[in-house]
Amino acid sequence: MRIRIIGIVIFVSLFLVVAGLFYVQVVKGPHYQRLSSQNRIRLLTIESPRGRIFDRNGELLVDNRISFDVAVIPQELKDRERVFKKLSKSLNIPKEELGKALKNNFVTPFQPTKIVFDIGKEKAIMIEEERLDLPGVIIETRPQRHYVNKNIGSHIVGYLGQINSRELTRLKSYGYAMNDLIGRAGIEKFFNNYLRGRHGGMQIEVNNRGYQVGILGIKEPVKGKDIYLTVDIRLQEFVEKIFENARGGACVMDPRDGQILCLVSSPAFDPNLFVSSKNPAGITKLLTSDRYPMLNRLIQCEYPPGSVFKIVTTSAALDKKKITPNTTLSCDGSYSLGGKSFRCWKKKGHGQQTIREAIKNSCNVFFYQIARMAGADNIALYAERYGFGYPTGIDLPDEKSGLVPNKKWKLLKKREPWYEGETLNYAIGQGFLLVNTMQILRMTSVVANGGYLVKPYLVKKIEDVNISDVEKRPVEISETTLNILRDGLIKVVNDEGGTGRRAAVEGLTIAGKTGTAQTSTSKTHAWFTGFAPADNSKAALVVFLEYGGKGGLGASKTASRIFQKMRDLGYL
Amino acid sequence: MRNRLYRNFDRVLLVVALVIFVIGISSIYSATYTEGSSALRGLVLKQCIWMAVALVILFIVISIDYQRFVDFAYILFGLNVILLIIVLIFGRTRFGAQRWFSIGVFGFQPSEFLKITFILALSSYLGSKAKFTYQPSDLVVPFIIMLLPLTLIYMQPDLGTALMLIPILFSMLIVRGVRIRHLLTIVILGLSALPFMWFMLKDYQRQRLSVFIDPNADPLGAGYTMIQSRIAIGSGFVFGKGWLSGTQNQLNFLPERHTDFIFSVIGEEGGFIGCIILLALYCILIYRGLKIAQTTGDTYGRLMATGIVSMIACQVIVNTGMASGFMPVVGLPLPLMSYGGSSLLTTMISIALLLSIGMRKPRF
Repeated sequence: MRIRIIGIVIFVSLFLVVAGLFYVQVVKGPHYQRLSSQNRIRLLTIESPRGRIFDRNGELLVDNRISFDVAVIPQELKDRERVFKKLSKSLNIPKEELGKALKNNFVTPFQPTKIVFDIGKEKAIMIEEERLDLPGVIIETRPQRHYVNKNIGSHIVGYLGQINSRELTRLKSYGYAMNDLIGRAGIEKFFNNYLRGRHGGMQIEVNNRGYQVGILGIKEPVKGKDIYLTVDIRLQEFVEKIFENARGGACVMDPRDGQILCLVSSPAFDPNLFVSSKNPAGITKLLTSDRYPMLNRLIQCEYPPGSVFKIVTTSAALDKKKITPNTTLSCDGSYSLGGKSFRCWKKKGHGQQTIREAIKNSCNVFFYQIARMAGADNIALYAERYGFGYPTGIDLPDEKSGLVPNKKWKLLKKREPWYEGETLNYAIGQGFLLVNTMQILRMTSVVANGGYLVKPYLVKKIEDVNISDVEKRPVEISETTLNILRDGLIKVVNDEGGTGRRAAVEGLTIAGKTGTAQTSTSKTHAWFTGFAPADNSKAALVVFLEYGGKGGLGASKTASRIFQKMRDLGYL
Repeated sequence: MRNRLYRNFDRVLLVVALVIFVIGISSIYSATYTEGSSALRGLVLKQCIWMAVALVILFIVISIDYQRFVDFAYILFGLNVILLIIVLIFGRTRFGAQRWFSIGVFGFQPSEFLKITFILALSSYLGSKAKFTYQPSDLVVPFIIMLLPLTLIYMQPDLGTALMLIPILFSMLIVRGVRIRHLLTIVILGLSALPFMWFMLKDYQRQRLSVFIDPNADPLGAGYTMIQSRIAIGSGFVFGKGWLSGTQNQLNFLPERHTDFIFSVIGEEGGFIGCIILLALYCILIYRGLKIAQTTGDTYGRLMATGIVSMIACQVIVNTGMASGFMPVVGLPLPLMSYGGSSLLTTMISIALLLSIGMRKPRF
């Protein structure tokens, strides 16, 4: 009968539906299961706070504070005109800028888009109170870097910057994400991997409008590790105040183990500027200033050392037995070589001197003579023994290594033989020779600690782990030579007529050496390096004034003030 | 007399219908479980009230000889067509279509009831031997009976329900014994007219047809329902996510899930097994219906039963096919499952008529 036809048509159709369901649910089931999870599950990053930075006494230097940002959920922003008008009034930001920020940062209709950053707690509360009247506007919080002391210590702690695309491709496998902040200088850069935390994440369940309806899982963010410095912020602040507007730097180090008590490079900058994008003009000003405030002059610059280098010349001559402690040489104000006259800084001359007196007087002519006796290559050898020509290994990024020339170097690089006149320049720390300030400080420490090179360091502890492993490398310089040097350096500060008299502090035996380095301009760089107490040294120091005149004046005076402050703080 | 009548009462048919309804109620409960809007919360209760009303009407219909309905078929049909005209002019608009009358909080859809009065009218015409002579000219009146309400329903616009009349007519013509040759000719003519139909479609209907071909052309607009429904059904996998645990459903990704897309809820929460069980129940329902059509000796009864079974079967096939993404989206409820009083009443009256026909087999 014909009803069978109807039956067959119906049941065949139903069978096709079942076959279709089998395909969709069983064959493609896993595929649709995945799509269904993608529909409802969103991943939110929970930003992790960076590790904090403390000074040696547990004084907080770098912290994280909560930054309040205004964000909008585009699909909830029904009455955009009115809401933006209201926001613009309470935040004092032009309406057009809000619209522009929304357009630039927009991702998806349901994802909160940040439009104003870091509005401060009061305004955040104000907006939070008016939320009913501002549909689609929310306040988001995130940890933001805060440099408690602003300029003070900025060259030590450094600053942060947003990761760029090239770095991101390189570092992606290490868990870096877009918009991550990464250290750009100082400790922030050198210890970035310790300071940065691991982002956490939250798997949230959303409904069809993107509203969160539940939390499926949380991976707590891992806080970055706290770092404890060897620096004493009180001393740091004191020294920075001395420098104020001057260009130059100073560093105090314990010569026994290399821990740095203060490290000042001037001018400095306020790292907080780089945290928020509120002041791009301020950043531009910093980056383009002809005073180069972003440069850490102590480690990222190379200078001629001038007379402080006479410590090396002395060591070479004494150690190589070219002179004895009692050898006397005479100075009549100048020294002639090949028809050319090389002058001493004192026109009248210093007369007959032993090495100790020559150091005290910083007599150029005396050192010309012993340099010629030792030879340029021996000076180079001793310069290297004192650590010149290599980075000191301080835990700060981008250290320069300086340049220690010798005869072979000259031939290879300049394709010229070494001239004897250059040996004379070498003797007084001029010529091709270039050093960084930390190297000078390390050289001084060798004399102070009785014969070993230390590696300067700023970080003593990461979280609970003590990392101040002291690296002491014995220097191949005889003890007698070092003793003679120490005698000479004590005379510089303490004896009548010593070049570093201004560095003296009542009641302290300070040893030191001044330097006045000639530059390509008429102005000279001023150096002072020294240590105290002279017999059992607990602090070595270097002061450098870029185009600062004579080392015996400003630089020595500064050193004296620093030594005094150190005694006040109980270090001496 | 009474006893003999109820000896032939098909209990299985009624029980299966009630079981499907219970599954439907639990699905509606799940579909409205997390819905924030309070207007949707009372739907389960409302649907139960409708069922109570439907059961009362069911027993009234059963107690009346179905021949009485055939006698008044044209009048009922005529009244229903008038209602369709009135609803076009005065009806309430919902989802952009004028389908509704309001009776208190309950909505009322004349186009649903038309399916029954249409079947009655056709049975009445085709069943009278005097008027039917197997000539092609005899097909004119049945087609007029179909095209008149079809046009009115199409204008609401409700393409799904309108098109539903076509297979009902064809199934009844086949059973009446119309030459297959003639029917094929009409089908071919109809198909060749299809391209012109495209221009008659409303914009939203064209959009629905285009997204059927490529749902991803407009994933958040017209294709959204289709994609989300298919994801819901597919993600149910073999055993489903469990009652009240369908994420697509509970998190509101599925639009219209308590009405036309109720099958997606079953598919997601009950999985392939759940779908098979539900379809098996429909198969029993359809099989029992066909059995009644086959065993009744009365031509009117057979035609009526055929029309009713085709109507239910078509809705099941089109609705499930649409929910799983194999057919374009047309607004058709799943009989006994979808929320909606008119649809439920229509289906229950149809089942009452089937039962009535089964009970009143002529004596041999």
